[in-house]
Amino acid sequence: MNNRIREFRARHNLTQEELARKVNVRRETIVFLEKNKYNPSLRLAYDLSRVFSVPIEELFLFDDSGTN
Amino acid sequence: MKRPVIIFIVAALVIISTGLWFYNSMQGFNSMDLLQFGVIFMLVAFALFLGIKRLRSVKRGEPAEDELSKKVLQRTAAISYYISLYIWVFLIWLKDRVTFDTEELLGTGILAMAVTFGITWLVLNYRGIRNE
Repeated sequence: MNNRIREFRARHNLTQEELARKVNVRRETIVFLEKNKYNPSLRLAYDLSRVFSVPIEELFLFDDSGTN
Repeated sequence: MKRPVIIFIVAALVIISTGLWFYNSMQGFNSMDLLQFGVIFMLVAFALFLGIKRLRSVKRGEPAEDELSKKVLQRTAAISYYISLYIWVFLIWLKDRVTFDTEELLGTGILAMAVTFGITWLVLNYRGIRNE
C-alpha cells in the first residue's frame, strides 16, 4: 500500500507537526507514513482523509496483487 | 504525561540501587562487575532518552504515545522474548563449561534480555512496521 500524504500535506500547506497534532499522533508517525514504512489503522486513515477532505482511496493507493 | 514520569522514577531507582551496589562492593570489583555496571548505565541512558522523547512530544502538543509507538513496543516485546529464550539456552550451555556464580549467571541473563529489548526497539524504530 502506498499513500499520497506528503503530496496532500504540501497542497494544504501543513507541516508534519501540524498534521500530527490534527490527527492526534506523534510527528514521527507522520514521517513513517510518508516514507511508507508504516500502514496506519483504519481510524488514522479515516482521520487523515478527513483532514485533507478526500476519500480514503484517493489518499491510500492499494495494490491488489497478492491479496485474496 | 504519566508514562514519562514513571520512566524517570524507574531510571532513578535503578541508578540508586546500582550506586548502592557499586558502593558496597568497591573493594572486590572484577571485570564482570564492571561490564554489568556499564550495561546498566547504557540501559538507564536509553530509558532517559525514551522519557525525554516522550516529554518533547507532549510539549509539542502531541500524544506521548500513539498507535505506531504502541505497535513498536508490542512487536519489540514479542521479538525480544523469542530471542531471550535462546539467550537462556546459551547461558545454560555455557554454565557447564565456564565457572559462573548463580548471581552472575542470573544477572548476565537479565541484562542480556534488557539489551536485546533495547536493540530490537532501535531496529524496529528505524525500519518501521508494516501490517502486511
